[in-house]
Amino acid sequence: MKWITTCKETTELASRAMDERLSFGDRMAMRTHLVICENCRRFMQQLHDMRRLFQTETRANDAVPGLSSEARQRIANELQNKLDP
Amino acid sequence: MPLNTLDAHRWLADHGDYLFRVARRQLHSDALAEDAVQDTLLAALSAQARYAGDASPRTWLTGILKHKIVDLIRRQVREVEIPRDADGEEAVDSLFQQDGHWAEPLRPWGNPQAEAELSQLRRVLDECADRLKPSMAQIFSLREVAGMETEEICKELNITPTNCWVLLHRARLFMRQCLELNGFSKVGAA
Repeated sequence: MKWITTCKETTELASRAMDERLSFGDRMAMRTHLVICENCRRFMQQLHDMRRLFQTETRANDAVPGLSSEARQRIANELQNKLDP
Repeated sequence: MPLNTLDAHRWLADHGDYLFRVARRQLHSDALAEDAVQDTLLAALSAQARYAGDASPRTWLTGILKHKIVDLIRRQVREVEIPRDADGEEAVDSLFQQDGHWAEPLRPWGNPQAEAELSQLRRVLDECADRLKPSMAQIFSLREVAGMETEEICKELNITPTNCWVLLHRARLFMRQCLELNGFSKVGAA
């Protein structure tokens, strides 16, 4: 990755940085761009916000209804079929 | 075998709802989530001789469920051809100018964590997740919702790391865009 990156390239680096450690060169290129670009700083912050939100949301998911009684019965029948062929 | 019967039905009774919610979260479909739970319990029944009892039944069943979810997703991803450079590339380009600058300035999100806004957030999150192309939604969900490592996701879905990473990046761009257009920039700032 070259030293002067565009916003588009910087978003790719910022996204990859959410998944793995960037090479030294990529890290420097990204940081240099972020120093001068408010939009991309926001983008990176928002990637982190999204991750937190989706994880918070997953924990809140326990309020979602569980198996319907029909589905539960169907699965119980399948289990029983397998037990007494 | 009365012991087996008892165990299998107890798994359903004790952990069925939990397994269903985990599956529903990632598969975005009641029917598929029910399939995943059923596949999991049937597999558990076959494999119970190997269950040493060192993990709790829920942990053990959740481990099986994770594989069943990936199986179901893999089947769907295969159905949706992943083109080498289509699948959102033009849409990504539309977010940027020719010279690689952002086409539109990004608006600040304020504090999207605010508790009182959570129910509205949940609705927007779900809507935006549903709007992603299936191949992207699934990878996004495995990474950001289930918290799987990208390496693990590529391997399980049998796609190249590059493809996997490109899909993830596009999914993030679209998700961000969708959240902003659906009121995220106002949430928490109010």
